Parts: sequence; C-alpha cells; structure tokens
Amino acid sequence: MIKTIERYCACISPSGSEDEIREQIIGDIKNHATSWEVDETGNLTVFKKGAKASGLKILFSAHMDEIGFMIKYISDEGYLYFDLIGGIDRRVVAGRRVVIGGNRITGVIASKAIHLQKPDEKGICVPISEMYIDIGCTDKESASGCVSVGDIAVFKPNFEHFGDGLIKSKAIDDRFGCAVLVELIKRELPYDTYFAFVTCEEVGTDGAKQVGYRLKPDIAVVFESTTAGDIADAPKSRYACSLRSGPVLSHMDGGTIYDKALLQYIKNVAEENNIEYQIKNVIAGGNDSSAYQKSGIGTRVAVISAPTRYIHSANNVVAETDLESIRELASALLERGFINA
Amino acid sequence: MDRIYEIACELSSIPAVSGREDMGLHRLAELCGDYFDRYELTPVGSFIGRIDCGRIGAKTLLFDAHFDEVGFFVSEICEGGFLKVVNIGGIDPRILSASEVLIYGKRTITGVFTSKPPHLQEPGESEKPIKLTDLAVDTGYLKEQLSEIVSIGTPVAYKSPVERLQGDYITGKSFDDRICIAAILRALEFLKEKELPVNIAVQFSGGEEIGYKGAATASYSINPDFAVVLDVTNAYVPDAPDYRKDIKIGGGGSISYSAKTSRKLTDKTVAVARKNGIPYQLFAEPNRTGTNAGAVQTSRGGIPTVLISVPLKNMHTANEVVSLLDVYNVAKLISELAADGGIDL
Repeated sequence: MIKTIERYCACISPSGSEDEIREQIIGDIKNHATSWEVDETGNLTVFKKGAKASGLKILFSAHMDEIGFMIKYISDEGYLYFDLIGGIDRRVVAGRRVVIGGNRITGVIASKAIHLQKPDEKGICVPISEMYIDIGCTDKESASGCVSVGDIAVFKPNFEHFGDGLIKSKAIDDRFGCAVLVELIKRELPYDTYFAFVTCEEVGTDGAKQVGYRLKPDIAVVFESTTAGDIADAPKSRYACSLRSGPVLSHMDGGTIYDKALLQYIKNVAEENNIEYQIKNVIAGGNDSSAYQKSGIGTRVAVISAPTRYIHSANNVVAETDLESIRELASALLERGFINA
Repeated sequence: MDRIYEIACELSSIPAVSGREDMGLHRLAELCGDYFDRYELTPVGSFIGRIDCGRIGAKTLLFDAHFDEVGFFVSEICEGGFLKVVNIGGIDPRILSASEVLIYGKRTITGVFTSKPPHLQEPGESEKPIKLTDLAVDTGYLKEQLSEIVSIGTPVAYKSPVERLQGDYITGKSFDDRICIAAILRALEFLKEKELPVNIAVQFSGGEEIGYKGAATASYSINPDFAVVLDVTNAYVPDAPDYRKDIKIGGGGSISYSAKTSRKLTDKTVAVARKNGIPYQLFAEPNRTGTNAGAVQTSRGGIPTVLISVPLKNMHTANEVVSLLDVYNVAKLISELAADGGIDL
C-alpha cells in the first residue's frame, strides 16, 4: 500500500485536473472491479460485487484532488503570478519548489532575499497575490512558450520515509485514502460495496456532491487526512489528534455532525478487532462527509481519518502504522457489512 | 556549462554550516585536491590550494570563495522528537514552514520544519511576523531515539537537490558561495595547459557568514600579492530597491567598486573583461560589501583586492537561482585575469 501511496502522491492532480491520478487508479482497479465509470465531471465510481448483498448501499469515498496553484499572469520579466487551488497557508508557500502543468516545468516560488527586505517586511509573509514563480525565463515571450495562463502547478513531489516509521510527501491528503480504497477493491468482499474517487474536495467538496446525488448511498464512509496538531509548543488539549494513535473518528467538525449510531458502530468494530483509534478533540476542518450528508434525502455519514501534520503543505507527515490501522479498520467494516449499523 | 552544473551539484550537497566546515572539508578536498600542486586545511575550516608557475620571484594571485553555508544549530531536543534550532547566518523565517532539512547528527536524518495548523492560529496570524522560535524541526523520532542521534549544537541545513530550470538557470541550496567555488575550479580547468605568469593560490574559506574569519586567517597564511574575491550578489527582483535594477541574472559577473577594495585592480578587471569580450556588470557598494573582500584586503600589510559577484536570486534560501552562463563568464574573466599577468599596479 505504501508503494501505491508513493506513486499516487507523485501525480500532478490538483482540484479540477485529476486526470493523472484517476488514470493511475483505473489502471490499478480495472481488473478487480465488477464495474466502474467516470462521470462527466471526472469522478470515478467503482462497484464491487460481494459474496452477498447486505441490503444497504454502502459507499467508501476518498478524494483524488490535491491543493495546488493556478497560473494567472505571466509578467514581462517572465515570472508567473498565481492563485491558490484550495486552502493553503501563505507561510508554507514562499520559497518552495513546484511543478507546473503537463510539461512538468520546474519552478521556484520566489522569496525576496532577507538582505533586500525593509525592516517592516521582516518575518511577514507576502500575500499570495504578490508571490510569483521563477522558472528561469527572463521575458514574457519565452515563459509563454512553456506555460499558459490557466496552467496548474503543485508542490514538487518529494515522497520520503523518515524518522521512526513516518512518511512525508505532498498530497498524502488524500492519496492515502485512494490507496486504501484500491487495496479493498483488489480483495474478495463479503458484501456489495461502492467506492468513489471524487474530484474537487479541496475547493468545496464538489465531486462528492455529484456522486452523492447519483449513487444515493445509505451509508457513506469518507477516508481522509485530518490535521494533527501534536507539534512542539502546541497545547495537548488542542492537538485535534496525534500521530501513531490510530485512525481518527469524529463526532463533529466544521462541516458535519456525524451519525451517532454509525460512529458507535465503527468504534465497536474497531474495539472488537483491537484496533486503537482516537477521537478528534477539536471541532475544525471538514471533508466530503458534509456533501454526502446533504445529498438527496440525506445520507448517514462517518469519516475515518489519518492524523496528518502540516496538511496542505509541501510536506504532509503521517505515520505508517496509522495508515495500516485505517486499512484494517476499513477491511473489518466491510467484513461486517454494516449489518445493524 | 554542463561541466559547471556537474561541479555545482557536487559542491551544493556538501554539509558545511558556518563553524562546522570540518564536516565537509575533507569531501571538498577530495573533490578539488587534484587541481593543485599542494593543499592544506586550516584550523578555522578553510581549504588552501596552491599552483606554482615556476617563475622565480613570481607574484601570487589569490582566488577566494567561501565554503561555509547558512544553516542552523540544534538548541533543544523537545518532547515528541522535535528540535528547536538557532540560525547560523541570515535566515529568513518566512520560508521555513513545512520545508525540509537535513540534520547532521551521528547519522544524517531528514527533518521537516513545523507549520502551525489553522485551528491553532489566531485570526490573521499568517499576516503577522513569524520568528524562528515559533517553529521546530520534526524529526519523526521519539525524544529518546532522537537523543541518541543529535545533541545540542548539531548542524542542520536545507535539503534541496540542485535542479535545472529553463535555459541555463539552475536552482539549489548554498550556491552562496559554492557556485563561486565552481567558478574558480572551472577557471583552473581553463588555465590547466597554460603557462602562468603568476602563482595561483586559492582559499575556500570558512566562516564568511559569521564574520569573514576564514578569509582573514587564510589570506594571512597565504600572503598573496593580489586577490580576487568571488561571492554572490542579489540580482534585481520585483520590489527590490531600484539601485539593484541593473544587476541582472544573465548579465555576467558583477564587478564591485568599493572603498573596501582596490580601485586599480577593479579597473584592471574591467579592462580585462572588455578586452576579452566577457560580459560583466558594475555595482557600487562604497562602505560595506558583505563579503570577504574587506577581510582579504586588510590582511597583513594590505592586499589589493577586487570583488566579483555572481548574480543570484532568493539568497540564503533552499532555492537560490543562478545562471550557468554567468558562472561561466566569471570563470572566464578570472582565468583571463590570471593569464594576463600584468597585474602590476
């Protein structure tokens, strides 16, 4: 699974440009899925026939897209001005390396040298509207030969194992979720299950809205990355969740109040299988659950998240053990088929 | 220029945070020892190499570029496997959040600077100044494991492989001032088969970023007759001060006029550039050059010194940008200056 995550993280697929990651996933599932389709807006949905039908329409969902950038303007000096795709703290942007568009042009998000800063500029990150990407072109014409307005960019792929069982990369949010689902599709399942690899989570859970409308699941379980605040100087009461403490289950976040019975069911399954889990202890963030919950006549939703430090940056950090536990929990849930959930 | 790229890749990756040049000095000597008739490593982290021209009474021309790089030292090992660090040299805290570093402990490990998650931020916090003390380096180890690998004072530097951009631009860390070491080595390659009118001494000096101590001591040791100091200079970028507008990447080496350097040797350098059709640009920095030039020029009884700089963008960040063509032109210029030999001032 980790190798799959690495391959998925290398895809250049910000919201609205999910083609590359979708092709990778299709390549991995096409010989295992009972059926699959790509809808008009790029969502990939997969049906896997189980040994029997559970009577409930179960959907497991992860988003394919990642945060990124879009080129807005090419200056006379050949610099590329851009805006964000999804929510990114401006302080993780300046000074990073990016890859632009299908031609995979390397660029550097410029950062005015400390020597050139006025006293009142020191330490204050410039707004995104004043940042630009340097690709090594010195005029508009040559830059326009490599890049067009509307081209997308992402942080440079940089997957790496480090520390004691941790992984860092761009886009672990939510390529790990995609990899977990792909693992499940490759298995024989006891019950019929639907899987969705959705687009545009980072810009408003757009893909999940469409998939929810089409599939009308009874239960949707979202596999996501969620912010782990277990870093130096942070108060424990505000960690939200911690690395190496297992899958994160949520009562409530910025977008959803989760189905209480479903949450309890998932907790029970985790406990029966000796899978350590944690409960998110702050109400913040959001994910595709909010879209599923509100689609059609409404869907019962749950989220199972990987605790992720520095989410929405060039270096998401997760623990391999957490990802393995999420896979185990997902697998255990499918074994039980949400009977009496 | 491919050759310069090759040398630059090798040099950029050597760990040598100011004060801990010892970590990379032997690697540097391995890379460039063969360029010289003899070399030595100094007690303050400089490399000194010499090429004798064989002429009796020949004067000695010194090429200086600094070997040290900006970085960090570990100041505290924290719970959860985080490291607090202090900066060595001028580091802009604006570019650190969620960036990668290498920690040169008992073994070299990767780390990631923390970035504060949105739910822990006050409204508007991202618009406020950030300080290095607000951040820590996440090593991914538990504190007990980490204490086996690092200690207070362990150096930390950017992790950022050299990569080509469009045209002849490249990006990477520590081009300040490794790219000038590359220029000097390339110049020595140009001079290899030539008969030299002067002895050449080279110092790849330590400690530039923390007060030029390597240059001062190595120059004292070498006792040259003339010196060329090579460093990088901030090329113009949007919103930089107007007076930098003519310092352009791709415009060749920037030759400085300064009260801290020799006007005669500077004039001579400009003349050699003109004579050989080598592109150059001029810069005036009367009082303080922020380079080794002052330390070299005031060494012993005074050593006439010229300062030539490679224009560079994003100085002291993990992604400095230079043009290989500029580096080539600087290499060409200093090799012609050495071959010219008529440095009688």
